[in-house]
Amino acid sequence: MALTGRTALLAALGSLPVGIWEPSWTGILAVNAPLAVACACDFALAAPVRHLRLTRSGDTSVRLGDTADVTLTITNPSRRPLRAHLRDAWPPSSWQPGTDIAASRHEVTVPAGERRRIITRLRPTRRGDRQADRVTIRSYGPLRLFSRQGTHRIPWSVRVLPPFTSRKHLPSKLARLRELDGRTSLLTRGEGTEFDSLREYVPGDDTRSIDWRATARRTTVAIRTWRPERDRHILLVLDTGRTSAGRVGDAPRLDAAMDAALLLATLASRAGDRVDLLAYDRRVRALVQGRTARDVLPSLTNAMASLEPELVETDARGLTATALRTAPRSSLIVLLTTLEAAPVEEGLLPVLPQLTRRHTVLVASVADPHIARMAAARGTTDAVYEAAAAAQAQSERHRTAENLRRHGVTIVDATPGELAPALADAYLALKAAGRL
Amino acid sequence: MTTEATPPTTSVSPTTRQVWTRSRGIVLAFVCLLACAAVIATLRSDARHGALDPRSGDPYGSRAVAELLADHGVSTRVVTTLAEARTATSPGTTLLVAAPDLLTERQQRQLRSATADSGGRTVLVAPGTWSVETLAPGVSADPVTSRGSTLDPDCTLPAAQSAGSADTGGIRYTTTHLDADECYPSNRLATLVRVPDTTGDGDTVVLGAPDIVHNDRLDEQGNASLALQLLGSRPHLVWYLPSLSDTSVTDQDEEKSFFDLIPSGWLWGTLQLFVAAALAALWRARRLGPLVPEKLPVAIRASETVEGRARLYRKANARDRAATALRSTTRTRLAPLVGVPVTQAHTPETLVPALSARLHGEGQPLHSLLFGPPPADDTGLIALADHLDALEREVRRP
Repeated sequence: MALTGRTALLAALGSLPVGIWEPSWTGILAVNAPLAVACACDFALAAPVRHLRLTRSGDTSVRLGDTADVTLTITNPSRRPLRAHLRDAWPPSSWQPGTDIAASRHEVTVPAGERRRIITRLRPTRRGDRQADRVTIRSYGPLRLFSRQGTHRIPWSVRVLPPFTSRKHLPSKLARLRELDGRTSLLTRGEGTEFDSLREYVPGDDTRSIDWRATARRTTVAIRTWRPERDRHILLVLDTGRTSAGRVGDAPRLDAAMDAALLLATLASRAGDRVDLLAYDRRVRALVQGRTARDVLPSLTNAMASLEPELVETDARGLTATALRTAPRSSLIVLLTTLEAAPVEEGLLPVLPQLTRRHTVLVASVADPHIARMAAARGTTDAVYEAAAAAQAQSERHRTAENLRRHGVTIVDATPGELAPALADAYLALKAAGRL
Repeated sequence: MTTEATPPTTSVSPTTRQVWTRSRGIVLAFVCLLACAAVIATLRSDARHGALDPRSGDPYGSRAVAELLADHGVSTRVVTTLAEARTATSPGTTLLVAAPDLLTERQQRQLRSATADSGGRTVLVAPGTWSVETLAPGVSADPVTSRGSTLDPDCTLPAAQSAGSADTGGIRYTTTHLDADECYPSNRLATLVRVPDTTGDGDTVVLGAPDIVHNDRLDEQGNASLALQLLGSRPHLVWYLPSLSDTSVTDQDEEKSFFDLIPSGWLWGTLQLFVAAALAALWRARRLGPLVPEKLPVAIRASETVEGRARLYRKANARDRAATALRSTTRTRLAPLVGVPVTQAHTPETLVPALSARLHGEGQPLHSLLFGPPPADDTGLIALADHLDALEREVRRP
């Protein structure tokens, strides 16, 4: 039950006749009694909310930054028409800040015995699952003086996937991949590449590639072509511990790492490699294994959608053990973590030899552009101290990276916008060098 | 991406039955409370409360004396307003003012003007300094009350003599009237004073304590006798109990209140506006469903530790550390530019000669800039940072 502004307005206007013609209890009664009767009639004539039947349909997943339309179908089985104000409540992060009231409220009229659809448009601001909360319906009478109010709970969930903004780098990286793949004339031969075919020599080919034995058998000079190995295993390891929670710009480090991981996974699956994903802090948060090339991107985004940084120190020993269990044989293990001195030196370095003995290890880290800006600050005392602190942090980072390189680890350290292409380049370089 | 949901019973609002089940305990408790209140009120309604009330059977009430007077043919009438008390004064009437101190000064003056020379008797029960001098001019109250309660008459007033000792001890009075009767003295000051009117046979009796008319003290000493003789001298007794509902408390005649001056239409119109405001409050108070809670992610800037370290440097004035950090970074950047391996960037013997060869300059200022002592003050530190930048630009210039 709820009153409307119109009731209050009529009561306020009623003060004129009371004041002018009948300033007494009689006047008060003469104004308010008809108003109360009208309200009662309105209540009786409003469509009952409880008997409405509501169903949902629509999108169940959406990329972060896109909009999802969830349809609510309202069936009015009563013999009274429904004139209603409706609120389809979702968690606040389902909408851009400030637009939630406009987006969640709807005016709807459903004639008796019919049904209508209304569309709630979500534009989530964060990854993860959004569960629909309750639907509150305020059903007005014909005079709009009084209303019935009730709530329905119609479960619905919309999964908000990582945005994969680094998709824009994919065409150029795929072009680079094709250059490697022997489909173009430019061939780079490296250790570990596999023999592809023999073809006729054209000027400009590497003379070292000439296969003399085959040349002897035919009249022309034959050269061997090579192509990079296929069907290698890549394990993407996302560190979801406390260091991944720090925000670089607007988003946590974890989001930048996911973006880079998605680009690398797409590229690698196109290159014919198998990609697995492990998200770990003190236990396994997500594990995607053994997907086909076509299936890998959807399963990765799905697994990443609900990942959140945990405020715990990452258990490097457990992470290594799980990675060793998950990666089948000599694989490329891409560890998306941070290059901060303490976690790396105390956690990762002691257990790194176990990984590097059997696998190729690549450590990708999200650098903070704000620290670079701080390092360049000059002019005031505060700025110079900031510059000094930033320089100190950067040199520690370099030292940590050097430490890791000494163990044979490839390091990619880039700002969020550049991490994804840098990681893809590092992967392509490793592939070209036949180090997979 | 599009699927259809199956419709279960989705309403989560409580039904009327559920609302009743939930709230009936409270309703029951409220009804019990009301019932108890009604029962108690009914049981105790016959006993009138209030001291010196001739209708009250309480220990401090005065029903006993009123009934005794009725037996002697004296009618008792209770009045609560000044206007009634004033009109009741007549030669055949005794006016008892139960609590004269409760009257305002104006009421006292009006009452006095009515009782003076009316020919009747006025009994003032325990008036203090505040009222006695207006209601009985010439009589004044002593600030020290009597020590004992029971006193002897010790005067020529017939009523006092026949009653003997009585519980009049309380406020003590002195009077300037020569023909006044001063009875029941305590330490030479009377606790009962009868002042005859200047004209007629009316008089004013000032009583130092209300004990003689209280129900529980009436049967002690000569209390009953004294009370009956003081109050029963006339056929009618008017018992004036000052009350708050008396409109003469406010000075009606002199100034009217704001609400009396504005037309009643405005008042009633405002009342209706209050009704409208209440309705508007109800309208705004009803929300369209509750807030939706959500777990928020932590928001920590990744650069927070670095900023914290900068503030620590600043607070501790750690110019040496800051200078070392700045110099070391510059050296690391300069070394590859002048062909020195990074591992030897921090040894002055290798770096400084290579730099001065590149810049064709002096070795000494370069040495003090890159490897010198920490700056003495913050200005020096700022200057050091600028000089390091300038040096790097110089080296990088082709």
